[in-house]
Amino acid sequence: MSVLKRLSKSKYFNTVLWIVILIIVWEIGATVVAATKRSPENILPHLSGIIESVVSKDTINGSQTAVQMVLENAKATISRALVGFGIGTALGFVLALFMSRFKTVEKIAFPYLMIIQMIPILGMAPLIFAITQDISKSRIIIAAILTFYPVATNTLAGFKAVEKEKHELMISYAASKFQLYTKTMIPSCIPYFFTGLKISAPMAITASILVDTLQGGIGLGCLLSQALKGAMSRYVFWQIVFLSAFIGIFSFLLMGIIEYILCPYKRKGNKQEE
Amino acid sequence: MADMQNSNVEIMLKDIGMVYKTNDGHDVTALTGVSLDIQKGEFISLLGPSGCGKTTLLRIIADLLQPTSGEISIAGESPRDARLSKKYGIVFQSPVLYDWRTVKKNIMLPLEIMHIPKAEREDRAMKMLDIVGLTEFANHYPNQLSGGMQQRVGIARALAIQPQILLMDEPFSALDEFTKEKLHEDLLRIWAKTNKTIIFVTHNIQEAVFLSSRICVLSPHPGRLSAVIDVDLPRPRTMDIKDTPEFTAYVAKVRNSCEGI
Amino acid sequence: MSEKALKRKKIDFNSVSSVLYPVLFGILIFVLWECGVLNTVLKTDTNILPAPTRIAGIMSENSSKISENLSATMTVIIWGLIAGSFLGYMAAVFATRFPNFGKGALTVLSVFNAIPIVALAPVFNNWTKDVSSEASVRSTVAKILVVTVVCAASMSINAYRGLTELKPFSLDLMKSYAADNMTVFKKLRFHNSIPYIFTALKVSVPSSVITALVSEYFAEYRMGIGRQIRDNISIAQYSAGWAYIAVACLIGILMYIILIIFEGIFTKRHRK
Repeated sequence: MSVLKRLSKSKYFNTVLWIVILIIVWEIGATVVAATKRSPENILPHLSGIIESVVSKDTINGSQTAVQMVLENAKATISRALVGFGIGTALGFVLALFMSRFKTVEKIAFPYLMIIQMIPILGMAPLIFAITQDISKSRIIIAAILTFYPVATNTLAGFKAVEKEKHELMISYAASKFQLYTKTMIPSCIPYFFTGLKISAPMAITASILVDTLQGGIGLGCLLSQALKGAMSRYVFWQIVFLSAFIGIFSFLLMGIIEYILCPYKRKGNKQEE
Repeated sequence: MADMQNSNVEIMLKDIGMVYKTNDGHDVTALTGVSLDIQKGEFISLLGPSGCGKTTLLRIIADLLQPTSGEISIAGESPRDARLSKKYGIVFQSPVLYDWRTVKKNIMLPLEIMHIPKAEREDRAMKMLDIVGLTEFANHYPNQLSGGMQQRVGIARALAIQPQILLMDEPFSALDEFTKEKLHEDLLRIWAKTNKTIIFVTHNIQEAVFLSSRICVLSPHPGRLSAVIDVDLPRPRTMDIKDTPEFTAYVAKVRNSCEGI
Repeated sequence: MSEKALKRKKIDFNSVSSVLYPVLFGILIFVLWECGVLNTVLKTDTNILPAPTRIAGIMSENSSKISENLSATMTVIIWGLIAGSFLGYMAAVFATRFPNFGKGALTVLSVFNAIPIVALAPVFNNWTKDVSSEASVRSTVAKILVVTVVCAASMSINAYRGLTELKPFSLDLMKSYAADNMTVFKKLRFHNSIPYIFTALKVSVPSSVITALVSEYFAEYRMGIGRQIRDNISIAQYSAGWAYIAVACLIGILMYIILIIFEGIFTKRHRK
């Protein structure tokens, strides 16, 4: 009894419990669908069916098994998202740096950063493709724009959150502007920078998949379009759905892990008493 | 300075005035006509209610603010030169520690900025940690320390640049009474050992009497120096001194001069 | 000139320049675009990147068709936003009431936030096949559901913080009055959560717009601003594509401005 009580208070236990509940609900749904529909795998297949399709050795396009094909396409999607994500992160950080250093840059750029936040960049994907005429380039551009503004706004917020006393301390040490940034400003904005990255990493993945759907070729999005048209087993579709959900979630968690490694001081130890 | 007859004067303030302008164009006089000579090795308190300009005066000495009138000289230099040549260390109300640096690295921060070689940095940081009694916490992060310990690190960091002057802006006001009393004794011990000139801003009369060799009482609207009281209690002072009639008499004297405001 | 007047002038210059600089920058871009310099820089012709005045012309020419698609998209955004925010808030209330069990639900829900819309949209299309025999109705329902999921996640996390991160001792005060849970919610938690609701909406309003547009790409029934952007571009009607993009941007900006105004009205008491 007491074990159960203790478990019910554990955060992990409750999270796992909810995942189990979701799986049960899914399976009940799948059972109902299987009994009433003609092609249940289109609507809600049993999870066991999806797992079976993952481990299945049958080739579906002559040379690859379903999972090999999905993974190959995922690799393409992720690597392109990564380039855009990297460029966007670098640009966002540099812009935030300039905005904090030069008031004029901040005045010009800040309203536009706000506007970018309000407008649906992802909806512009087809047009950016039309302008660049190159699917890889447009993927990189969109992923970069989507990464750029959360990083820029959050990093800038980090620079602004540095206490007045820390500035004064640096003045009292007669520190140069360069030292002010390397010793104080940049290290203290790191947690804010990661807040930006946690927002933008899944967005970069979403962007990359969406741009995939604009043209044939390779990429999770293309495969998704083909699977939807019924070109291959429906289970490929479900594999893509679960894999892209996983990649999105993983990219978010990965940023948290990197932050955890880079910021050992955030791990709370036992506070000393007087 | 031509009029510096006394070579023992560390800080000379002459007719300091500070007028702020608010956003709607009004003038607010934060300080007016403050003249004061501070001797080398003195422990001087700037005491007064909020709004009396005591923190403003400290910031003027630190060259974080420029007065609108008056003259200052610190060890014969202008405040700017004194700041550039690291004549003072400053301790704020909050410890202002760098979360991402260990205790030792926090103390080494000003030394890095001064381009002091690594071996000497380490050496000095460890010495400072010894002075404030935190040697065993050198590799802890600030958020693992209690408030009192964090403020000790702040003091160690200010001392690390080996300044002649220590400026302290209500450094203990956020701490509980027990911690505060302990730090008072520690501060006096450090002062006796290092022979610094300390300027200590506070609004606590007992604290000022216990620590200081001289108390400058400031009064508000407009901020000005209204009394200077020498505290001739014997040293080294311990907590017991607070129970003596002499201590009580000084507290009463300081309070009276405040009430006149 | 007196010192005071000089100071005032300095303040005025500061506030004027923070409006003037971005506006001048905007005008510069506009002029470069209108004169075709932007086309040269991006190496595109005026067919793919038409001048702003031309886009505006097309918008007014096709206003009836645009407004038809606009209302379809707005229906999805508004209903999805309402349903998602309501469900998210309820999840937060649930998590507040049952802290351990409910917090687990929030963790799972927050992870949902990272699932790409592209993966959600086709799934909901599948699930809504039986909703109606009308393709337009099914598609609308599917799109609303996608927006709902996206909005629910951000609302639940923020609202939970608003319901639980109370001022120190305020809960103790309520306890000293022997207030029941409902009273604590009505008198304390709800009011505390209002600014957090707006924090959530600032995230979910823009993302509801984008989610509506993207889920239109996958919808069975061809309708909405997002679908028009894509379809027009795929048949090389770039000007029309731009017109719909302009509409999409306007939706995003206007909804955000309305949100800010509402925030100003409802959180007046929370600010100093």
